[in-house]
Amino acid sequence: MILGRVTQSIIFRTLTTSVDRLQRQLARAQEEVSSQKKLLNASDDPAGAAQANRLRGENTALKALDDGIGFGTAVLGAQDGALDQAGNLVARAQEIATQQASGLTTPEARQQASEEVAQIERGMLTLANTQVAGRYVFGGLATGPQPFANLDDPGFDPTTAYSGSTTPFSLPIGTGQTVTLTTPGDQVFGSTITALDHLRTTLAAGTSPDTSVDELNVAGDALRAERANVGGRVTRLQDRSAQIGRLGDTATSLLSGVEDADLTTAISQLVQLQTALQATLASGSTLQQSILDYLPTQ
Amino acid sequence: MSIFAPLSIGRQALLAQQRALQVTGQNIANVNTPGYSRQRADLTAIPPQGDFAGGGSRVGGVEQLVDPFLEARRNASSSDLAAATTSRDLLDRVQTAFPVQGGSVGTALQEFFAAANALATSPQDLGARSNLLAKAEALTQQLRDTSGALATAQRDTDQRVQQTAADANQLLTTIASLNTSIRAASVGGDPANDLRDSRRTALNTLAQSLDIHAVEQQDGTVNVYAASGVALVVGQDAATLGTQAGSPGAALDGGTLNAVGIKDAAGALISLPGNLGGTLGALVTARDQTIPGLSADLDTLATNLRDEVNGIQTNAAGRDLDGNVGTAFFAGNGAADLTVALTDPRGIAAALSSAPGDNTNAQALLALGDTQLPALGGATLGDFFGGIQSQAGALARSADDQVTIEQNVAQSLDAQRDAISGVSLEEEFTDLIRFQRGFQAAARLITVSNSMLDDLLGLVR
Repeated sequence: MILGRVTQSIIFRTLTTSVDRLQRQLARAQEEVSSQKKLLNASDDPAGAAQANRLRGENTALKALDDGIGFGTAVLGAQDGALDQAGNLVARAQEIATQQASGLTTPEARQQASEEVAQIERGMLTLANTQVAGRYVFGGLATGPQPFANLDDPGFDPTTAYSGSTTPFSLPIGTGQTVTLTTPGDQVFGSTITALDHLRTTLAAGTSPDTSVDELNVAGDALRAERANVGGRVTRLQDRSAQIGRLGDTATSLLSGVEDADLTTAISQLVQLQTALQATLASGSTLQQSILDYLPTQ
Repeated sequence: MSIFAPLSIGRQALLAQQRALQVTGQNIANVNTPGYSRQRADLTAIPPQGDFAGGGSRVGGVEQLVDPFLEARRNASSSDLAAATTSRDLLDRVQTAFPVQGGSVGTALQEFFAAANALATSPQDLGARSNLLAKAEALTQQLRDTSGALATAQRDTDQRVQQTAADANQLLTTIASLNTSIRAASVGGDPANDLRDSRRTALNTLAQSLDIHAVEQQDGTVNVYAASGVALVVGQDAATLGTQAGSPGAALDGGTLNAVGIKDAAGALISLPGNLGGTLGALVTARDQTIPGLSADLDTLATNLRDEVNGIQTNAAGRDLDGNVGTAFFAGNGAADLTVALTDPRGIAAALSSAPGDNTNAQALLALGDTQLPALGGATLGDFFGGIQSQAGALARSADDQVTIEQNVAQSLDAQRDAISGVSLEEEFTDLIRFQRGFQAAARLITVSNSMLDDLLGLVR
């Protein structure tokens, strides 16, 4: 600004405007330091505000997905444990079948052995009805009536023992991505229960369980196959959980970059502004000189 | 040549220096008076009357140092600065409806979809279902609050329009009456400098309310026109600036908005066309365009949310916990009245079959959070809100930038005005000494003349 004539009011106005502007900047810098945020209003960084909204959304969504994955991991753990025990039960049933298929045993001994097989079958049905948080892990993760009937239910028939969901439960683990958590119970335990029931009824009749060893072998294979399947799903969930952790870290650090104040910069700026304000105020004190100081008092 | 001539010259000079001292005194006294323009006594020599020497000095007039073109530019700058400041203050308030540190529609939307994720994990869990309804309730509450904040901002803006128009009307009357006084004084030969200062200040204040164009007439009066050319003050007559309620339902809150215009003799309003400029222009633009624009975007978000979620919820294949097809989730026509229509958590259709524990439809609801909707220009619901938030921020930001620019312009013009019209104490005190010395010299002239007369009379003795 080039002025031909400078009056007192110009000097004072310039001083007050400068002080006013510096104080506003100082207040802003102060707010940044005390809140440690640089994005306080959308106007501070309009594009950053939209980005912060999106990143916050990503974090919320990832947290929700991770909660689901945590539940899924618990379900798969329960399935794994149940299948492990089921395998042991099948092995015990195979021993019995092998013993009772030999010609050295008596019909009475077979009838006694059928009692043990009945216990094994009951145990198997209990395992097949395993629950996590009240939800049947081999019944489509549904609540409500148990998917497998009890051995002691009237008219128990192993082929119709399963009345649970035939739809596998799929867990969302990301946009358009799911992991199938369950296999319908009849596909997992159907052959095992049928084989055990056949062994039990054969032994109860006092006859030799000639085909049971093979049947139980097939059933055991089905259980092992499902267990391997469960292991694969666990790996997938663990991988995804680790990935979600990394994505969450990235989103958090990006969010921090958008909305968090860089304290070093903010504080040095605060100090800089304070110095500028002090200098301006000090320069103002020299304005007190005027022609009056040099005029003789008459 | 008369021997009394030096006496007469001395007397004239005494009066002239005294008058000049008076003007200097007036300048010093008004050093801090806002809008005061410095005055200068025009000392002129009294032309000779038949002899060579002349008749001494006199004050020909008291001139005011004003640049009329600069005044016009200052008025324009006042309008622009007032418009920018008004916009900035308003938009700064509007953007608080879109907080960036959480607690916004955006975060409520994110929590709604997180609850949908929990439902997809536990579709039969009544806790997860109730939570989804609660999050939906919070989301609609946020939408209603944000929409309400915009409606309130519009209502307040409308009230400020009425208030500003009333204040501006008062100034029109003031300017017209100043015109009358200045005209009367001019006829009597008085330049009415201080009245002109008052009128310049009044015009500058009026320019803050609306863009004006002031034209000084031969008789000293000023005619004032609005930006569109409509006369506001002609000579001693002022128009009546006022407002009139428009059609009901025009406002976001369902009420009326006031149009600004000139009242005719019958009291009917003739609207002022175009952007009025100044505070009024900024208020009307914010009230009629900016705020309704943001509100319309919020409504678009609300109706799309309603339609998409209802579409999933009422899917003919969808089943609620009791095996029934779902009923509408959200009800309402926009952000202002969106509510959760569903009350029973069992009524959420999370399944797409009657199989127990089916979560397929809950997955569809979850996927909606990531779906780019053509109706939203290919944005997801969350990103669309981010866009509205960003827009509100950008509007406030650019208004604030505009304020800085206009402040610099105004500051520069104020300094230029001061350079021409402002009082400089250094100058005035120098003048004070100058005129004091002139006064002393004139007094000495009279003393000398007196002693000459004494000498002359001594000859007779």
